Amino acid sequence: MSRQKLEKLGLHLPLFPTTSVGSFPKPDYLLKARADFNKGKITEQQLVELERKATAFWIAKQEELDIDVLVDGEMYRGDMVAHFAERLPGFTEGGVVRSYGNRYYHKPVITGEVKWLKPITVDWWKYAQSLTKRPVKGMLTGPYTLMDWSFNEHYPDRKAACMALAGVVRKEVEALIAAGCKIIQVDEPALSVRPEELSVAVEAMHVVTDGLDAYFLAHACYGAFEYIYPGMLEMPVDNFDLEMSNGDLKLLALFRSHPFTKDISFGVVDVHSHHIEDPTTVRKRLGDALSIIPKEAVWVDPDCGLKTRTVEEAIEKLRVCVQAAKAYRNQPRATSA
Amino acid sequence: MNLVPSSTGSYPRIGDSPDLQILRRTIAAVDRNERTPSDLADAEAEMIRRAIEEQVRGGLELVTDGLIKWNDPISHLAGKLAGVKIKGLLRFFDTNFYFRQPELTARPERKGTLLVEEFAFALKVLGSTPTPSEKAGRLALKPVLTGPYTLAKFSLAAISGMTSLEARAEAYAEALAAEVRALVEAGARFIQVDEPAIIKYPEDWKTFERALGPLVQARDDEAKAGKRAQLALYVYFHDAAPLYDKLARLPIDVLGIDFTYNPKLVDVVAAAGSPIPLGLGLVDGRNTKLEDPGAVARQIEKMMPKIAGGKAYLGTSSGLEYLPRDRAYAKLELLGKTISAVRVGASALAR
Repeated sequence: MSRQKLEKLGLHLPLFPTTSVGSFPKPDYLLKARADFNKGKITEQQLVELERKATAFWIAKQEELDIDVLVDGEMYRGDMVAHFAERLPGFTEGGVVRSYGNRYYHKPVITGEVKWLKPITVDWWKYAQSLTKRPVKGMLTGPYTLMDWSFNEHYPDRKAACMALAGVVRKEVEALIAAGCKIIQVDEPALSVRPEELSVAVEAMHVVTDGLDAYFLAHACYGAFEYIYPGMLEMPVDNFDLEMSNGDLKLLALFRSHPFTKDISFGVVDVHSHHIEDPTTVRKRLGDALSIIPKEAVWVDPDCGLKTRTVEEAIEKLRVCVQAAKAYRNQPRATSA
Repeated sequence: MNLVPSSTGSYPRIGDSPDLQILRRTIAAVDRNERTPSDLADAEAEMIRRAIEEQVRGGLELVTDGLIKWNDPISHLAGKLAGVKIKGLLRFFDTNFYFRQPELTARPERKGTLLVEEFAFALKVLGSTPTPSEKAGRLALKPVLTGPYTLAKFSLAAISGMTSLEARAEAYAEALAAEVRALVEAGARFIQVDEPAIIKYPEDWKTFERALGPLVQARDDEAKAGKRAQLALYVYFHDAAPLYDKLARLPIDVLGIDFTYNPKLVDVVAAAGSPIPLGLGLVDGRNTKLEDPGAVARQIEKMMPKIAGGKAYLGTSSGLEYLPRDRAYAKLELLGKTISAVRVGASALAR
């Protein structure tokens, strides 16, 4: 439990803090602007202005929805790995590959030693934080996922690539903390892909977080957690942000067999469905979480980033998250394990 | 020594240039109701043509339709069966690729063909694809089926009769055996059955082996009726070494294996030999780095003397849709260069 740590950091959050995983859908005007920029029709400055406008929209919208810990919505990002790879020497942009269905991304290629030259996320975090008094999370892609979701033509093996990237990510974390960021989410959706490499991911996360004064979350999703649980609890983070609803909460069975010992950001809505869950369903999911996990450890959010939904769908999914958290917050005897 | 350059399944359905993005754009437009299902069929057909043309131009002799119409290897087949509902996303092994998980609401049943139309279309395309003179008479098309055990392993059950892995595998096996018969009737002479899950979950061997039975029987029944087809079992995305001996003794015609997870697997195969031709997945279908054809050739030379009939199908370790299109094509060319290196090596040895 990390309530004390949060308090020590000056973060006085309510029970069941609400948050989001990171990405929000880009408004139509921004999608058009990105396309226009790629065709050379507008300048980078014009694009950035619209990205700032969209970021301001989402910060205001999260405040309006009464979300406790905000994200900048990643209006400036395309893909979560490519965004970093494009800004780190040692990476080369790769061609497009499919992630699922009709979704594709540019998978980067490691072609040389990867180096961190300057902050990548800090200016956007500063801008988003300047728009609100509520805490805004710093958002990074973790070293194991950066490695696993890139082609490697340089390092001798996967571990060598991962550890090199861990050093790079730590520098970005240090820069965020220096800028005043107190809550940092490290996205590791690839965490479960090779259970035999869990120790590599854990070792890399130690490089990223050890000795640094912030509340750390690790986000993981759509994986075979049954093969890395409870070992994944060795990750040196305070909070695991997990996709739960897409898998019908089946992870809860694992938590019954071995206690979940960290804070959890519990995904109560499925981000890959257009359907907006009804409040009763969402409240029940949260109730199921509280039957196993102590209430002080539970945060509430969607399963994953909402960028694949429409703006309206994303807002409604966030709204039911907040409604569920408030419903339990307002119960004097909120269930506790 | 007979080395056949072969596909291992999928081929990229997209590329960097606009003309290679028609399928992606058409699907998005159909979702927005701006295009029709007929437009989608046209876009799929175009990308299938391109996939087959590139495989032939890249030097392959045994090609596929690139699995261009497949959303993923699980839901494409399971979703066509009655009694199956397609649910949430799940990662496909250790890839950054996701499939939609089937949920069995009844015993899955085949109400119509699964791949026959796709196979028939691809066969026509292959027939009209310009054939390099040195490949005349040597080109063939293989349909690819995800096997019953792997489908069962990744399916959920919503009814009590399907809660056991064995029950799900048996039900899928019955449906897929019927499809094997239909494919052979439609002219398939080489059918690839992918069972990647078995090398990751070797504890399920009995279920896997039992589920393969009906497919083997379907092949044998068709052979008795005068229509011979080869059944090739392909495993990938994990180390095949622990199960190699058992896999090679299965009543199949070809065993395809992924060599990228264990650098010692070449030695395992070279030591144990194989009673059947092998599919040699020595070229990494998941990483852009291009192998040294000479090094791959040396691995082949180590194993070939111990492979029955001196025949093997040289391919990538997995389907190629995990690579950007230009690298996928480069890997095809690399297969050809490797075979040339093997031939040079062999003739040097002969001298």
